[in-house]
Amino acid sequence: MEGGIRAWKGLAASGVPEAGMAHFPPDSPPSKLTALAWLLEKGTQKFYGEAASGLQDSGAARLFAELAGAEERHKGTLYRIHLEIAGAAEDPQFPESVFPASSGPEYMEGGVEVAKALEWTRGKSPQEILEFALALEVNAYDLHLKMEQRMADPRAKMIFALIADEEKEHLNRLQEHFIRLMTPA
Amino acid sequence: MGVLDYFRPVSTLPAEKIRAFLNEKNAGEYNLVDVRQPEEYEGGHLPGAKLIPVGELESRLKELDPHKPTITY
Repeated sequence: MEGGIRAWKGLAASGVPEAGMAHFPPDSPPSKLTALAWLLEKGTQKFYGEAASGLQDSGAARLFAELAGAEERHKGTLYRIHLEIAGAAEDPQFPESVFPASSGPEYMEGGVEVAKALEWTRGKSPQEILEFALALEVNAYDLHLKMEQRMADPRAKMIFALIADEEKEHLNRLQEHFIRLMTPA
Repeated sequence: MGVLDYFRPVSTLPAEKIRAFLNEKNAGEYNLVDVRQPEEYEGGHLPGAKLIPVGELESRLKELDPHKPTITY
């Protein structure tokens, strides 16, 4: 439902950026999907890193900074998968070497433009921003599960499944903090 | 193909259409799911909505009837 419970109660929706659902054309090669995952991790890392500094809750800010670090580690893992798929020792042009359209605006999980999401966070409460991050991590979990299903290489499959598990763990941590913020001290 | 070509918009309906839909149908004809946290659900929810927090969706999907339309918020 558009606008969620606020719209149901007749209140204005908060204009939260809408996330899309990942969909891969049948002929998408694993190398391209790996580069796509890397680009989305990069965008999500930037979002968490920059949004952390504007959060009016130190616990949420710390959590966002940690999540930005986790996305950085995912990028390293995805780069190594790329090298294994390509049979190369290094690829300094990655991800452009397999994803030429990667020089445009930066996107994060759900296909949300990073700059628009950061703009939206201005003046928003920690609860609203955490709720948006929850939606992001649901998308990240879904994306990595779908990618795991599309990988033929057993090691790539295993790594995408591991990243999906980590995204689910992020979701749980965000949920825990969200509940903590909602619970009066 | 650009990044956005790998995403499809999720179809959403405005609150007034959902209100009309719920008025027209019997409760047994659809799945109405509140994916927020229990504390939010307790603070107010749509009539008849089933609480399945987003982190539990995957493990509790079998609680939903796949033959009926599903509305989430």
